[in-house]
Amino acid sequence: MNTECVAEIDGLRVEAGGRAIVDGVRLRVRPGTVTALVGASGSGKTTTGLALLGEYPAGARVTGRVRAPEGLVGYVPQHPGAVLNPVRRVGALLWDIARTQVRHLPRRERRQAARKRILHTLTEAQLPDGDALLRRFPHQLSGGQQQRVVLAQALLLGARVVVADEPTTGQDALTKRHVVERFAALRRAGIAVVLLSHDLDVVRELADDVLVLRAGRVVESGPAARLWSAPRHPWTAALLAAHGAAEPAGPDGGAGRAVLRTGPFTARHGRTAVLRAPALTLRTGDSLAVVGRSGSGKTTLARCLAGLHRDHDGTLQLDGTPLPRSLRARGRGQLAAVQYVFQDARAAFDEHRPVLDQVARTAVRLRGLDRGAALAEAVATLADLGLGEDLVRRPPDRLSGGELQRAALARALLARPRVLICDEITSGLDTVTRRGLLDTLTALRRERDELCLVLITHDLDTAALASRIVVLDGGEAVEEGATRDVLKHPQHPFTAALLGTTAEPAATSGRG
Amino acid sequence: MSGLRRLLARRLLLGAAQTAAVVLLVFALTEALPGDAAVALAGDRPDPARIAAIRASMGLDRPAVERLADWAAGLAHGGLGTSLASGRPVSTYISDGFGPTLLLAALTLALLVPLGVGLGVLAARHAGRWADRLVSSVTLGLYAVPEFACGVLLSTVFAIRLGWLPPTAVGYGADLAAHPAVLVLPVLVLLARPVCTLARLVRAGMIDALASPYVAQARRYGIGGARIRYAHALPAAVTPAAQQLARTVDWLLSGVIVVEALFVIPGLGTVLINAVAERDLPVVQGLAVVFGVLTVVLNTGADLVARRLAPRAEVAA
Repeated sequence: MNTECVAEIDGLRVEAGGRAIVDGVRLRVRPGTVTALVGASGSGKTTTGLALLGEYPAGARVTGRVRAPEGLVGYVPQHPGAVLNPVRRVGALLWDIARTQVRHLPRRERRQAARKRILHTLTEAQLPDGDALLRRFPHQLSGGQQQRVVLAQALLLGARVVVADEPTTGQDALTKRHVVERFAALRRAGIAVVLLSHDLDVVRELADDVLVLRAGRVVESGPAARLWSAPRHPWTAALLAAHGAAEPAGPDGGAGRAVLRTGPFTARHGRTAVLRAPALTLRTGDSLAVVGRSGSGKTTLARCLAGLHRDHDGTLQLDGTPLPRSLRARGRGQLAAVQYVFQDARAAFDEHRPVLDQVARTAVRLRGLDRGAALAEAVATLADLGLGEDLVRRPPDRLSGGELQRAALARALLARPRVLICDEITSGLDTVTRRGLLDTLTALRRERDELCLVLITHDLDTAALASRIVVLDGGEAVEEGATRDVLKHPQHPFTAALLGTTAEPAATSGRG
Repeated sequence: MSGLRRLLARRLLLGAAQTAAVVLLVFALTEALPGDAAVALAGDRPDPARIAAIRASMGLDRPAVERLADWAAGLAHGGLGTSLASGRPVSTYISDGFGPTLLLAALTLALLVPLGVGLGVLAARHAGRWADRLVSSVTLGLYAVPEFACGVLLSTVFAIRLGWLPPTAVGYGADLAAHPAVLVLPVLVLLARPVCTLARLVRAGMIDALASPYVAQARRYGIGGARIRYAHALPAAVTPAAQQLARTVDWLLSGVIVVEALFVIPGLGTVLINAVAERDLPVVQGLAVVFGVLTVVLNTGADLVARRLAPRAEVAA
């Protein structure tokens, strides 16, 4: 078995800042297979993956053995756009790679030969119109096309191992399927794929071997099928259990008083209409999930409700009184009533002040509490959400992504909102953290019956929490109804495709 | 690319308005100066009657607005007017002065770009090490020396003490290209500060670019060091430098007065100084038009380059 490994890692220990990021990791990578490294964020997946490329964090102490085909390891990062030079056309690196491969040819033939190689590789990477594509800049490509170009770089290099870092994180179900297809094709071509992911759906579909990492150590490893059916380590069991165990759909709601009401409206960016929203009514105790792919207008809808996007022609009513379209025109009470929690919690905090002060500030600004009372309430609310006082007295960079997202929730709750809008607050979190946050939301919905939740998400587990669902596609609401009905008996083909129950509609096959 | 054409049209239209505003301002300021061409011409014998006679013969006794309108009407027919002091067409002043200025600017630029970019790349490549420290501290120190001080210093040492180079261009006529020795000191003085600015801008941009994920990816895939530096990192690093370069070229072409005066070079700067001294309003205005148009054209050019270098920014207005 050892002889057929293309790359292996033995007893790898990477120490940075006096702390072991990775400790005693052993990894065998065989050609034509997918080896998945799974684990929560910070478990050492990326450090292990980059070790195959011979890259380590600055100033790290490295011991152990890493063997990999030098110069023949490809890398596809989480955001493929980052490795494409924004000021060069997308073919820049491809040309340079190809140029080194045609040196043996006479000077006159080199260019033509390099071109042939590049176009051939692009076709292999499912980018058929290579000629036109090479002339474009990275920002003119979709995320999926960028990923394919980065894959083409590895293919052109003749990579025998490809390390893919979280290739599906933050993607909707349809895009995920394209990504899975892409890596399955690599495997068929005999390339060894090392998949770093906390997305267990994708791991389950692709992986031949799985390593479960926790705090830098491999807690369990083995063939994927065995691991799934009979996890040996409690942490693996916890990871698998946290995944997929969706809450039963929430109560139907609809009986309470109307809190927020909007007429049907069209929202625009400049002259382009980006969203045609249906009339919506949120009642007390109600929760609404807005579901769709990226670019479908979900966030725009949320921003219209919150007053962050005022270029629309609708009317908003809060408790029967008109609510101004723009945030600037809203009074203190109106501001407090509609609160927004953003996807990127880290960006939503000032990095220099303690988290607690920032959370308490809401109550001072919007409810006129004095500082002492606000701090006391903040500490209590944060404790309810599982954040201890000593933790929240630290600046934001000392908290994890999941902890910060809870703090952001607490900050919004301190305004005593009537409507709480959560914009993709679970995407980018690993399964265990996500499960925890979803439980928090469930508890909130149960305990604060005056609160209306609006969940913007592409994750159906999250959407299942809500009592009602609106499905958006290309700026149009294609389906709306009680969560139970929509998830069990989708009426619109797009919803069905999103649920993964039928083949995707042909209209969207060109994307992704 | 209709977007590009629209951008160009908008920029040039705006530029024309800006040039007109500059001309108006220059006219108003020169009017506000004490004395006029008549006083300057009367010279040592400021006899009021004589001044009034000169004034009347030049048409300077007419209201300022009328004179400006006349000049503008002439401009519409393609003429920049005639000098009050000599009666020669203003265009001959400009074409005479433009030669030496253009020569100096071209030479300076030809040395500036490779030197500035080269030093910047060198410093960035060795960021934090002695080569970088040397380049960074020398450029900072040199930048702090103004042109006149630098010029006086260089000409004292190399022209007067050592006698290696001529101290001024006096006696060499307008054909400076035939006497390269005359140009050495002025070009050095003109180079000194722009090289520092350019090198520091390129260094900062290069350090960012060399630490970027796309450079890491190129390195990973075995692309050579020089190719990475000049083909992958540099294009991303030169955007701010390109805009700065446009400003430098503009500065050079507008006749660097201090340098031209110090080395007595008959360029546009010298023409401007003389014209102001003689209150030769048409010449001053003609120069204002030329400088305004140059500024607009150069900056529009730089924006187009920046648009190519930073395709995402879609530079507007």
